[in-house]
Amino acid sequence: MSAPTPGVAGAPATAPVVSLAQGADLTIEVRHVARWYGNVVAVNDVSFGLGAGVTGLLGPNGAGKTTLLHMLAGFLAPSAGEILIRGRHPGRDPSVYRDIGLVPEREAVYPFLTGFEYVRFNARLQGLPRPGEAARDAIARVGLSDAADRAVGTYSKGMRQRVKVAGALVHDPRILLLDEPFNGMDPRQRLSMMELLGVMAEEGRTILFSSHILEEVERVGNQILVMVSGRLAASGDYRAIRALMTDRPHTILLRSSDDRALARALLGDPAVFAVELTSEGLSVRTAHLSVFRRLIAGVARGAGVRLTEVIPGDESLESVFDYLVRR
Amino acid sequence: MSLSIRVAILFEIMRVTVRQLLGRRRTLLLLLLSALPILLAVVFRAAGEVSVNRFTRSAFDTVDMTILLPLVAILFGSGAFGAEADDGTLVYLLAKPVPRWVVVMAKAASATLMAIALTGTSTAIAGLIGLVPGGGDGVAATEAMVLAVVVGSACYACLFLAVSLFTRRALVIGIGYMLVWEGALSLLLPGIANLSIRQYALGAASAIFKLPIESSRLSAETAFILAAVLLVVSLVIATWRLMRFELPGGTD
Repeated sequence: MSAPTPGVAGAPATAPVVSLAQGADLTIEVRHVARWYGNVVAVNDVSFGLGAGVTGLLGPNGAGKTTLLHMLAGFLAPSAGEILIRGRHPGRDPSVYRDIGLVPEREAVYPFLTGFEYVRFNARLQGLPRPGEAARDAIARVGLSDAADRAVGTYSKGMRQRVKVAGALVHDPRILLLDEPFNGMDPRQRLSMMELLGVMAEEGRTILFSSHILEEVERVGNQILVMVSGRLAASGDYRAIRALMTDRPHTILLRSSDDRALARALLGDPAVFAVELTSEGLSVRTAHLSVFRRLIAGVARGAGVRLTEVIPGDESLESVFDYLVRR
Repeated sequence: MSLSIRVAILFEIMRVTVRQLLGRRRTLLLLLLSALPILLAVVFRAAGEVSVNRFTRSAFDTVDMTILLPLVAILFGSGAFGAEADDGTLVYLLAKPVPRWVVVMAKAASATLMAIALTGTSTAIAGLIGLVPGGGDGVAATEAMVLAVVVGSACYACLFLAVSLFTRRALVIGIGYMLVWEGALSLLLPGIANLSIRQYALGAASAIFKLPIESSRLSAETAFILAAVLLVVSLVIATWRLMRFELPGGTD
């Protein structure tokens, strides 16, 4: 299996299989997987391999992250391609769940059970020899011991997320799949959950979690998979991908006392590669946003122009993802 | 996975399912409904001598067999998986190394036992008050009535448990079946006795005592065979459905 990391897959006819694992120790293998619903393609020719470590699955809403996680967990059959979890096909044999801990995005079921009862239920269904003990340990790991004897229905959203994680890791699985695990958590809970994922990865587990927030992913995952419109748009070390995202061309709208004079002055600067006079103001394209921000005031002053407004262009995550796909 | 672990898992799922079913407000309503046959028996007894003939027709057939049994068993059967299959939370149960048939058996057993606990107890107490003191066939008739609701509970619960894995409207379909198929059509078309749980229940009861209910058409042997076929088919279909359970991919 080749390892072109980091990389931006774009939209090739057949995506390469990107291995984010060290060596050949792959616990999750995804080979040219696609899933469609009628004419709608949710996941399109995605390939990657994962080993021990934390990997963030990043993408805007509707990118296909949940569909991919559900396929990895064996609860959705791929329309094409193949998924192997430690060499086995998920979905065909329930024994695969000895190796998988799954934390779906949906809220915990059975609100009438206490946190402890819920986690022990998971432990018993895993056939663990000492389910009570395992449940207490798992609850302690997620920092819920104080609330273990309260009904799950009385928990806050963050606490419910944590009790779901406790239920998913009670059997000490090799693979942990988490769908938007930080949703509803306050910053302190988020930090402790991030630390927990880091520790579990150091213990040799393969952890894949989805998020639509770049900051979450870069704080936990040392490697990321970026999905956009069902495709794997980028994969590899988050720093390299972050650089790709920040160095992309930006469009900035300027309003000043003399747009035409400012346009002339800006065209001489290497950080600017296009200017356009519009009815809204002066539209400027730059490849280096941070450099441009530093120089704009000086350029305006030098041209004798008074800047009245600097409006950044579309900075949404979606526009960043769109850029990655177009590359 | 050893048999003892499977049995332990079965009981664990049953324990949680029973708590899930007991926690519903509608269970309280069913509990009140199940008091109705007992109240009727008290009224019959207070009015004087009660014949097996009159009691089974006016109380047992009208209330237990036509309303209480189907309603209770359909509600528990269709509610055993609750909204789990519909909203995807079933994943918490299925992301476990547990054979799907164990999950189905646990859910079906929970729903059936809950239905029997309610309808069986109610029918037994009603018989003890209304029929047994009168002597004669009172004891045999009471036993036959209890057997009818036991067989009926299992059939209704398992059938509508399977239906609930296909549609969120299992309860509506169940009530439609109860009112239209068993209520109206079976009177007009005697031939559908072979496809009526009510007939299986009454037929099975005749193994103990032939209850004087005119609409009962099946022999005990036929009723037991058809009930067993229905149970097996329902459980097999439910297991098949769970093996193919897919989480909604959603928009994400």
